[in-house]
Amino acid sequence: MATSSATTESAEPPASPPPGDAGGPQLGLADRIPLRRIIRWGLAVALVLGIASGAYQTLAAGVFSPAQWRDLVVFGIAQGSIYALIALGYTLVYGILFMINFAHGEVFMAGGFTAFFAARAMDQAGFLNQQPVLAVLILLAIAMAVSTTVAVTLERVAYRPLRNAPRLIPLITAIGASLFLQYSFRGLYGEDIHSYPRIDALTGTWTIAGIPILRTQAIVIVAALALMVGLYFFISRTTMGRSMRAVAEDREIASLMGIDVNRVIVTTFAIGGMLAGAAGILYALVFRQVHFLMGFLPGIKAFTAAVIGGIGSIIGAAVGGLLLGLLEAVAPFLLLSGAGIPAPNQLKDVIAFSILVIVLIMRPGGLFGSREPEKL
Amino acid sequence: MVPATTRAVNRGLIIGGCVVYFLAVGMFERFTARPVITDLLTLGWTVLAGLWAVAGVWAARTVLPPASSAPDGDEAGGRTARAVTHAALAGLLAGAVPALFLLLADAINLRPMLINAGATMVNALAVDDSAVAGALRLVLAALVIATVAGIVASAPAQVRRVAGWALGMVVLLALVEPLLRVIIASLGLRTSWLYQRGGLGVSGAVIALVLGVAVGVLRRRDTPTTARDDGDDGPRARLARGGRIAGLVAGAVLLLVLPRLVGPFLSEVVGTIGLFAIMGIGLNIVVGSAGLLHLGYVAFFAIGAYVTALLTSPAAALGTELSFWAALPIVVLVTAIAGLFVGAPVLRLRGDYLAIVTLAFGEIARILALSDWLRPALGGAQGILAVPAPTIGAMRFRDPQMLYYVIIVACAITAFIAWRLEDSRVGRAWTAMREDEQVAQIMGISISRYKLLAFALGAGIASVSGALFAVKIGSVFPHSFDILVSITALSVVILGGIGSLRGVFLGALVLVGLPDLLREFGEYRMLLYGGLLVAIMILRPQGLLPNVRRMAELGEEERLQDQWLKRAGDAGDPEPAIATTKTDGAS
Repeated sequence: MATSSATTESAEPPASPPPGDAGGPQLGLADRIPLRRIIRWGLAVALVLGIASGAYQTLAAGVFSPAQWRDLVVFGIAQGSIYALIALGYTLVYGILFMINFAHGEVFMAGGFTAFFAARAMDQAGFLNQQPVLAVLILLAIAMAVSTTVAVTLERVAYRPLRNAPRLIPLITAIGASLFLQYSFRGLYGEDIHSYPRIDALTGTWTIAGIPILRTQAIVIVAALALMVGLYFFISRTTMGRSMRAVAEDREIASLMGIDVNRVIVTTFAIGGMLAGAAGILYALVFRQVHFLMGFLPGIKAFTAAVIGGIGSIIGAAVGGLLLGLLEAVAPFLLLSGAGIPAPNQLKDVIAFSILVIVLIMRPGGLFGSREPEKL
Repeated sequence: MVPATTRAVNRGLIIGGCVVYFLAVGMFERFTARPVITDLLTLGWTVLAGLWAVAGVWAARTVLPPASSAPDGDEAGGRTARAVTHAALAGLLAGAVPALFLLLADAINLRPMLINAGATMVNALAVDDSAVAGALRLVLAALVIATVAGIVASAPAQVRRVAGWALGMVVLLALVEPLLRVIIASLGLRTSWLYQRGGLGVSGAVIALVLGVAVGVLRRRDTPTTARDDGDDGPRARLARGGRIAGLVAGAVLLLVLPRLVGPFLSEVVGTIGLFAIMGIGLNIVVGSAGLLHLGYVAFFAIGAYVTALLTSPAAALGTELSFWAALPIVVLVTAIAGLFVGAPVLRLRGDYLAIVTLAFGEIARILALSDWLRPALGGAQGILAVPAPTIGAMRFRDPQMLYYVIIVACAITAFIAWRLEDSRVGRAWTAMREDEQVAQIMGISISRYKLLAFALGAGIASVSGALFAVKIGSVFPHSFDILVSITALSVVILGGIGSLRGVFLGALVLVGLPDLLREFGEYRMLLYGGLLVAIMILRPQGLLPNVRRMAELGEEERLQDQWLKRAGDAGDPEPAIATTKTDGAS
């Protein structure tokens, strides 16, 4: 038992932790590379076999028609583009401050939730269906403004005083801030789940390239892509973007070069907040409901997306988001339903989190990051 | 450098914003239901007054010297006058902002959006008067309170301390009313001299004030609480040791009779405190000793509860129906192995990744327990019922007053293990690892082994808590095991002080016990936890009862930080200072 082995202090190393421990006292076998690599490869092979057999069983059983698969894929891309927008916020902040803004999911929630009240008011006034384009743009503006405000306030109140603190401390702060924001919004707006009003112009499908796509999903995908392209140009072409990259590279040197580091950091949070606010509206278009905990899961998933793509990398976050959305939509049905597991959709979050764990084991740097595991 | 007046204005506006937040989030309305001094003062108004006082003190500090560097003569006089003016200015603004909010809420129906800003809030805030009168009264009250606070803040340290203790004591005694009243009553004494209808009576308030003043006068400034025992063998030290032993004995006796003293309801609360204290001890090993931020700790708690239920319940699919005592070692072993499985893949991950991965593990555990897939084994949303109580001979530990003893023993054992580990070879290895992983590795510490050990041990301890939880509730449901349990355990560890064993008990007492005493807090419990986490990390990262060694580490970081701040010029306020835990309301 772990407890007893821990209390005995002897020259011998405490018996237990796998994997194996036959080496000298200096370096256990577990610390040597080959074994880890063998385990990693073994895991990879097992994964591939498991995925292949699950997929084969499902496809062989022919439970779903090609049209159903196609719908799942489109839905996955739509959801993935929302993840991607949120993930960009994580990645931007991480790139500059090397901290995970745990409360980013709540920034997303704040925008989507607050804009709901505007949406309801516009719906009651009939404006929403008279001028759907304008109405959605107004909602986007409101959500982006609210989320930006929350993100910037968060930075100022919670993170700035801790900018040079040991790493654990801002992280705990971020967790606290996340909890605080969730329950603040519960106190402010109540704990009910609110349903976004329906926009008639956005119901039904458009046929694009011969594929019928739900209009909301099409809008979400296009809007997310537009925002991401905009961000890419902002980062790569503008002076502010260049300052951001410089601060990400080395904060101190950047400040010596005359860059106002505080301003860059605030801008980073603001951009992350804007994208999250937009994601909040897009989320509301697809799922049509908001409540105070709605940011929690998308937040973790978006973080997962950022990790898949390689945290710190903008393109990585975008690709990771799309990939995660896609996997989450398709994988439960593809891998699990053939294996006879009931209600596979219940387990989609398990799949998303397993992907996170697997990516971190296999390729901690992510797809677009460095191969080396992060410095400890 | 921003001029002091501008800063005072800013601070007044910030506190004004906090007051509006406090109103809009609905806390004011809920808290007015609870008296502090019966018929005179409710908790809601107390918090408002506290916020305004903070505005006054905070604004006064824009001109007051930072430390207690003795000011002299004329300069001090002029400074005091400026400090009080600034305090009054800030108070005016801190009252005007909520007053405007009150007028707004009265004029427009904000309720469709801000569900708490309805007519009841307006009435509570305007004390059933017209909104305009109420608004004026708010401004006036804020002005007066902040000015007085400003005057006190510019007074000598002795006065400030006495004032703080006196007011604090009133609020504290009022808050612990449910506990203290029951205890006094169970001793066969009357309570009306202290408490009347849920709050302090007038006589009680006077007693509390006097008590507070006494404490404030008697407490010497130059005895910091942490550095009391400084190993000199004089008679004073011996006396102190004797006192400590007497205190321990008294504490032990108190612990033994506590359930009889406080009755069944409060025994249950104490039991819950004990469960979280055990979890805190376990998590403290993972977070505090080994420095691994674990957010999926609830998974181990859940595994402990589920395995106990599976092994002991006649309703479980396993059908072994072991006794609790026979099941417990298996539970601990299984959970420790689960800890290894969670720990192994995340060994190489850095702190923040680790946090999120363990969070994911916690969610995976909950979702699996809820899923239809594992329903035959774990019972899905219905969980497992009829977990039998532990028995010794004819004694059944079911009702909270009996189970309390099992929990206390478990607390004691886990605390003993953690205490002995702290300075052992293992504990020192963890410390080295936490401080610098690479250096520790070079010094011959097997990082993988010690991390896994921390995970396994932490998991094993959490499983004890889970097992006790299962028998306490008598059944196991997946809904009992959400992320908030992990967060509560984390808050317990952090409030007390990361790595501090005594702190865990204090943290559990405050964070788990107080909300149960203050039913008004129930709804805002998580909000307060969240705010508290942020406030502690910013104001006092070492926690309330710090671990000495850990504090040294933090202190070093702070020194480095100070240097950096000096170099970088003025980056905001180096010392946000007085904001108490109640005032973290900046949204």
